[in-house]
Amino acid sequence: MNPLPEWLSAGHDETRFRAMLSPDSPYTLEQLAGESKAITLRRFGRTMSLYAPLYLSNHCSSGCAYCGFASDRKTPRRRLEQEEIRKELGAMKRLGISDVLLLTGERTKAADFDYLRTSVATAAADMQRVTVEAFPMSVSEYRELAEAGCTGITIYQETYDPLRYAELHRWGPKKDFRERLETPSRALEGGIKTVGLGVLLGLADPQEDALMLYRHLRYLGKTYWRAGLSVSFPRIRPQTGSYEPPFPVSDHLLARMIFAFRIALPDVELVLSTRESPAFRDGMAGIGVTRMSIASRTTVGGYHDAESSDRGQFDVFDDRTAEAFCNALRDKNIEPVFKNWEHAYNGPSHMEAEK
Amino acid sequence: MDSLHIGSYTFSSRLILGTGKFSSSSVMLEAVKASGTQLVTVALRRFNREQPGDDLFTPLTSIPGITLMPNTSGASTAAEAVQAARIARELSGSPFIKVEIHPNPQHLMPDPIETYEASKILAKEGFLVMPYIPADPVLAKRLEEAGCVSVMPLGSAIGSGQGLATAEMLKIIIRESAIPVIVDAGLRSPSEAALAMEMGCDAVLVNSAVAVAGNPPVMAEAFAEAVAAGRKAFAAGIMEKSGIAVATSPLTSFLGTEA
Repeated sequence: MNPLPEWLSAGHDETRFRAMLSPDSPYTLEQLAGESKAITLRRFGRTMSLYAPLYLSNHCSSGCAYCGFASDRKTPRRRLEQEEIRKELGAMKRLGISDVLLLTGERTKAADFDYLRTSVATAAADMQRVTVEAFPMSVSEYRELAEAGCTGITIYQETYDPLRYAELHRWGPKKDFRERLETPSRALEGGIKTVGLGVLLGLADPQEDALMLYRHLRYLGKTYWRAGLSVSFPRIRPQTGSYEPPFPVSDHLLARMIFAFRIALPDVELVLSTRESPAFRDGMAGIGVTRMSIASRTTVGGYHDAESSDRGQFDVFDDRTAEAFCNALRDKNIEPVFKNWEHAYNGPSHMEAEK
Repeated sequence: MDSLHIGSYTFSSRLILGTGKFSSSSVMLEAVKASGTQLVTVALRRFNREQPGDDLFTPLTSIPGITLMPNTSGASTAAEAVQAARIARELSGSPFIKVEIHPNPQHLMPDPIETYEASKILAKEGFLVMPYIPADPVLAKRLEEAGCVSVMPLGSAIGSGQGLATAEMLKIIIRESAIPVIVDAGLRSPSEAALAMEMGCDAVLVNSAVAVAGNPPVMAEAFAEAVAAGRKAFAAGIMEKSGIAVATSPLTSFLGTEA
């Protein structure tokens, strides 16, 4: 049986997208960069919207081969209590951050849905915008999360290759490929306004995964017409950390992918995290990427309480301070934007059927 | 003096500027000053009282002769826009609100239904409501009835630079409207702004075309001149186009000679 749903099979409007990414592409990287830059400028202007991640917990029930938080890793486990979350948010606010991404591992007793919902409400009281990267939830759980003030979720499929997926996700709830694949749909049905998708680059054939990701985004856009969509490009960098990626993705290929997504989906937010180098991030600002994380800590907490016992989920490459990073953007004639949202716009998305 | 009247306000400039997408707030302020505009719109989501360096609103208040019009960009429903408008009035003290409701954050098309609902409520609450709308002549009249002080139909999609793609609908809106019609969104170059004014628009709103220009303050000035020229031409009465052919065999010979 084919584990892939119908909507991930060939689409009618992907000829150019394929051509942009093909190894014998008729488009030079420079051509794509030029077109991507023009679209980015027109649509998003000379601005970069900024956010920062806050790891709430590193408890995890899954065994993802590539992850620093997998349940067989010997890293100390902890979760932030609400008072600690408030302190971390306070420290983040002092850096200017008003847009926070809350993260946990896969669902555990220590960090379950109630914990997450309470944490969202805590964060929404302090921050303008709260998004979540946690575990797959049910439609009704997403509805509750939206009501607590979560406006967006990030959920990476990691890879759309079901066989590679099965090898890499050795145990735990994340082993279920289809369950994860249908998560963005459930979130949108539950009233979450924005979903962020991505593949973890390095795990499987990058061109093939990019094409599937593109189809997934097109499907979501057509099925849930109000959906805000964003795409991230997390990459396992070769020769860093303990996991050696079987399909390493070069800077050139990553840049080509970002340009292809910008050209094929001109209005979609494209995100680049501090996994990438300062030079790569500065270079991609203004020519495709429109949203970046700053001053990131990938340990549990780490903004208020800088002494953290765990090693973090991944190594931050761009470890510049918020101020240094903003200055680099300004040198490129790009305005860093910390607040690009308003409390009044929180809450579940509008559904005609419920009126 | 050929002034623009919106509600009880009078403006001599017919160029309205948006304030997003600039490379810095100092460049934005220079562009606003260079344009001579008297009405400027700022998104509530770009108000930042906690962090002055990130705030677009406060620096604008230091420019003399400018009326600020907050907008609800980011709202996806009427309820959100209404709430945002109330917050914006409290923070800015401005009676104006540009109602901008995009149910889909990608294409930024205004939702006519939610926009109508929000505008009706806000007009009743005493706001000077300026809704950003699709170029739909019936919707424009409905909003006029609901008490809006102006309508702001789009020339083309926000940030698209496609100019007056909706020209035929805009002409109907202009012809039928008893309140000022302001073309908002899609204008790429000053000549397009001039064309909108020649068509009889009361004003134009420009943002991207200035913000992402090579030299935003100079481009702002160019837009101001084009808007003034277009308005002057409209007021002076533009020559009709030729091209109505005279039939070779007269159509009215059956009438005989006039008595």
